Amino acid sequence: MRNRPIRLLAAPLLALVILVAVAGPASASAETVGGCMAERFAEAVETYHGDVEEAAHDEAVQDQLEKCFEAPSPILPELNEIIWGGGAFLILFVLMVKKGFPAVQGAMDARADRIRADLDEADQAKLDAQSVKVIYEARLADAKSEASRLIDEARGDAERVRADLVARAEADAAGIRERAAAESDAAKAQAIADLRAEVAAIALGAAERVVQSSLDAEVQAHLIDAYIDEVAGADG
Amino acid sequence: MADAAVTGYAEALFAVASAEGDLSAVEDELFSFAQALRSNDELRSTLADSNVPAARRLQVVDDLLDGRASATTSVLVAMVVGAGRASELPAIVDAFIEHSAASRNKAVATVRAAVALTADQRDRLAAAIKTATGKEVEIRVVEDPSVLGGVVTEIGDDIIDGSVRRRLNQLRESFR
Repeated sequence: MRNRPIRLLAAPLLALVILVAVAGPASASAETVGGCMAERFAEAVETYHGDVEEAAHDEAVQDQLEKCFEAPSPILPELNEIIWGGGAFLILFVLMVKKGFPAVQGAMDARADRIRADLDEADQAKLDAQSVKVIYEARLADAKSEASRLIDEARGDAERVRADLVARAEADAAGIRERAAAESDAAKAQAIADLRAEVAAIALGAAERVVQSSLDAEVQAHLIDAYIDEVAGADG
Repeated sequence: MADAAVTGYAEALFAVASAEGDLSAVEDELFSFAQALRSNDELRSTLADSNVPAARRLQVVDDLLDGRASATTSVLVAMVVGAGRASELPAIVDAFIEHSAASRNKAVATVRAAVALTADQRDRLAAAIKTATGKEVEIRVVEDPSVLGGVVTEIGDDIIDGSVRRRLNQLRESFR
């Protein structure tokens, strides 16, 4: 960055050297042989006051015309061209230094700033992306741990539910067994009671029939007399 | 305790029977009729049915008592049935007999037995009850085959049960 002004000055100097080197042939090539000869022949005619034939036979004129065939310097331009070219170059150079260079410098600085800002922005974006990545990775880790926790919790719940169901089923089975045993005992007791009542009814029926068949008039009279004696004996 | 209507009718029966002078016969006939009414559900429901015309019910009473009871008894039964108190007639007769016995300073002993008691048995039983309870009683016998044998005596709220039925029931209870 510090060598930039030197490079900027070296560029127009190099252009000046190239211009000096090339301007000569360019100017020489601009003045044609025919033009040269026509110009010099016109001067000779004018010298001879319009006598063309005299001018054409004059050896001095012919020498001058022959010189038109000699090429100008291939390196050095005409002096006036150097002056004008140099002046133009200096004006252009000054304009470039005063106006162009700051503009170019500003544009370059702006571009550098923009690139720097872009780079900073890219760095920031990279940092943001990395932070987002870290956040996502943390969330992913959290999600994995949460999923693992949920799975463990679900397994624990399932195990508890299974244990509860087993315990309830065992309790129900025990209750069913107890009820069945109680019902069986009750049914057994009821059957015994029914059987006893049935036997009693049969026995009583038989006894009643025997009593009825044995209660003739004599027995009835005896029973009544015995009753009267019993009442009479129950004094008070 | 008999209600006022039962007592009132009983006193009316007693007054009429006393006025007619055949109280003892009326007591026996009314007691027999009341026992027949107790043991015959169809007769009791017919005489107590308010849907049956009073003339029809009185005709039934006449058919039942004609030639079997005195005119006083027939009139008294017709009076109670005609007043629509047939369902209460047994209770009225019981109150009447108790009232009549009380007028003689006696209590009524209702004796249920499978067979009828002889006069001697009645007298001895009355004497035995007097000995046991100190009460002079008049014996009213009800023949009840369900007693099977022996005697059940009811004097007011007191019951002296010497029946074969009671012994069979005790035997039944012992099986339980």
